[in-house]
Amino acid sequence: MRGVTRRLRYPAALLPPVWHALPWRPLAAAGALGWLPVAAARPLSGGTGDTALGLSLLRLAALVAGVGLAFLLDDPARRTTEAVPVRRPVRAGLRLALVAPPLAAWWTAALLLLPAGSRPPSGAVSLEAAGIAGTALALAAASVRLRAEPCPGTGAARGLLALTAAVLLLPDRWSPLVSLQDANWTAAHGWWAAILVVAALVWAVCVPEPLTGHRLLAGRAVRSPCGTSGPSRRS
Amino acid sequence: MTTTTVVSGQPSAPAPRPPQPDAPVPGPTRARAVLALARFEARELLTYLPVLAAFLVYVAATAWRLYSGHPGWHELTGREGMADYPALQDADRATQSGATLLGLALFVCANRTALRAHGRGTEPYFDTLVMEPWRRTLAHALAIVPFALLTALVVAVRFTWAALSPGAVGHGSVFELAVTPLTVLLFGVAGVLLARLIPSAFAGPLLAVALYVAATYVLDLADGAHWSQWLSPVVEETGADPMPSDLVGRPAAWHALYLAGLTAFLLCAALLLGKGRDARAGLRVKVLTGVALLATAAGIAGQSPGPSAALEAARVRVSDHPEQSENCTERGATTYCALPEWTGRTAAWARTTERVRSLAGGTATTRPLTVRQRVEARYGLEGDANHAPLTAPGAVTVGTRWGGNRVPEYAVGLASVLVAGDEKAGAAVCDGRVVTTMWLALGAGPDPLATLRDVRIDDSDQGGAYVLSPTQGLRMSAQQTDVVRALLDRPAQSVTSAVKAHWTELTGPGVSTARVATILGVPDAANGAKGEDTCEE
Repeated sequence: MRGVTRRLRYPAALLPPVWHALPWRPLAAAGALGWLPVAAARPLSGGTGDTALGLSLLRLAALVAGVGLAFLLDDPARRTTEAVPVRRPVRAGLRLALVAPPLAAWWTAALLLLPAGSRPPSGAVSLEAAGIAGTALALAAASVRLRAEPCPGTGAARGLLALTAAVLLLPDRWSPLVSLQDANWTAAHGWWAAILVVAALVWAVCVPEPLTGHRLLAGRAVRSPCGTSGPSRRS
Repeated sequence: MTTTTVVSGQPSAPAPRPPQPDAPVPGPTRARAVLALARFEARELLTYLPVLAAFLVYVAATAWRLYSGHPGWHELTGREGMADYPALQDADRATQSGATLLGLALFVCANRTALRAHGRGTEPYFDTLVMEPWRRTLAHALAIVPFALLTALVVAVRFTWAALSPGAVGHGSVFELAVTPLTVLLFGVAGVLLARLIPSAFAGPLLAVALYVAATYVLDLADGAHWSQWLSPVVEETGADPMPSDLVGRPAAWHALYLAGLTAFLLCAALLLGKGRDARAGLRVKVLTGVALLATAAGIAGQSPGPSAALEAARVRVSDHPEQSENCTERGATTYCALPEWTGRTAAWARTTERVRSLAGGTATTRPLTVRQRVEARYGLEGDANHAPLTAPGAVTVGTRWGGNRVPEYAVGLASVLVAGDEKAGAAVCDGRVVTTMWLALGAGPDPLATLRDVRIDDSDQGGAYVLSPTQGLRMSAQQTDVVRALLDRPAQSVTSAVKAHWTELTGPGVSTARVATILGVPDAANGAKGEDTCEE
């Protein structure tokens, strides 16, 4: 029991600084911007229920939120936080845990902002949103791991946008962005679940700090300009 | 560098003294420096994945379009025959598809390159350099130009390809062709301006999504008002059949002026945000800003009004009375009346007409026919309207599209006129004459069974289905489909001679499908006959 308490003490102590270090500006900007299209649904559809429009607007809101989430791992002080005893998975997990409740509230509000008549099935569209958010986070984690980038946000956001454009250009029968009446609705949501799982796996693989071992995923060692980063990571 | 080099024992010319901080740098040198930086930044832009991928995809998609004739790559198989007969007044604005995505890629990445120094914390070091911040901004904007030029090249290749195809008709507009490069330039410059307005890394990607929403949803959905629709950089307006170029009525020149003015205005705004201008340069930029604003305003004012009353009247006139503006030529027993821009297409119509008439018998081979070109222009460029069948005897409708499935559809319309006398009567035929009509339309063509599938609305060759024609189309029952399929399996020569020998009976009103099958030698195919032929399923 004492061991568990001790193990939980460091993360608990980390909560305030991680909360401070969270990139609130992009997250807040994304949140505000993401609500705009959803709030515009009422005037656009003229009060009549238009689930196709509602679906498009919710997807856009999810994309905007994804762009915001891509900045979640931005840490300008990464070169100094490398040296703290709490490992990166804990720190990144704390960031995610701190952001998740507001994010869930934000998404629920976005769903409720839509007129009831134009609200698509909440579960399915939430799965799509989770897939988009997961992809953004996985891109950010991969960028941290592979490029030793202190602020992976812009690169991850660009990657997310490029992926979105690629999906928009896909032929209709391969696109996961199906319409409500499409016969492939269920199959496409199977793919969304798969996207979410793959994103979670990428996150799990990329979040730990490279110590030694696998060359491909070891990444470039982060070098401190001041030479205070402790013993060399490459033996 | 003030070292003096010694070549073959002789001292070279005295080395130049280092430039004095206050000495004015000569103009050409500054321009060269800006160009050099622009060249570097253009190369840098190309290393960003979104830009590289967007341009690779754009070029690949264009190549696929040229090869397959399909407007997009949502259809990945086969070749679209209509691409051999383009109307250039539509082909010019077809080059605008994809411009928004290209532009967005450049928007995000130009924003990033302009912020690179900011993000890396090297911005303060630039103060020690000779080049002022506003020239640096100018170089970032100039780095977009090679991408706009590349886009212009791709657009030019695509349009030239269409214009050189032998079946091309009509006239293109250079202003429509300018839209894609101008859009790329506009988005790139907007990215640079955003970097100067909000020097933060997340603004670019977030606003890219917002821009996409604005360009595709909001402006289109604001009740579809003409003025708000045209504020969007790309206004594609597709759906209707090609109409004569003087009826298109798109404010293309004003729109190009609007895009160019807006691009120049955004550039000037970005330059005004950069510090370090001397008084003369500042005045120039301010004057240019004013001019750009005027051009933008003029463009918006020019493109905002919808179609004029005179244009609407001309559209109604051509839709209702195409004969008033058509040129007619006679070829054999058939008169072909084409709109002025389409007169070159009569030869293609004549080939199909002769093919269908060669299968007919009785007076149908020599009866005078009028092939009348019709266009429905009343509902604008996005209105997809059907033609009402003509009632004049021997008058056949042909649309403004040709090639691909439009050819057998025309053949069906022509055959129904040969069989029933006029289009209105031909569309109402439900009895055994449907078989005769379909045989005339398909019998002499290449791969008639595939053509049968093409002209039927559900692409089937079994069961009942609607058959498309330029006007109303006709209905084939399952039994008639079986008979036609059996006929197409038989040697064409024997069917043709049977049709010619029994022409009067085969085209007599009320003849049953079973009787037609018996006459044409495929009695087994009509075994499933269930009494009367009707058009109801």
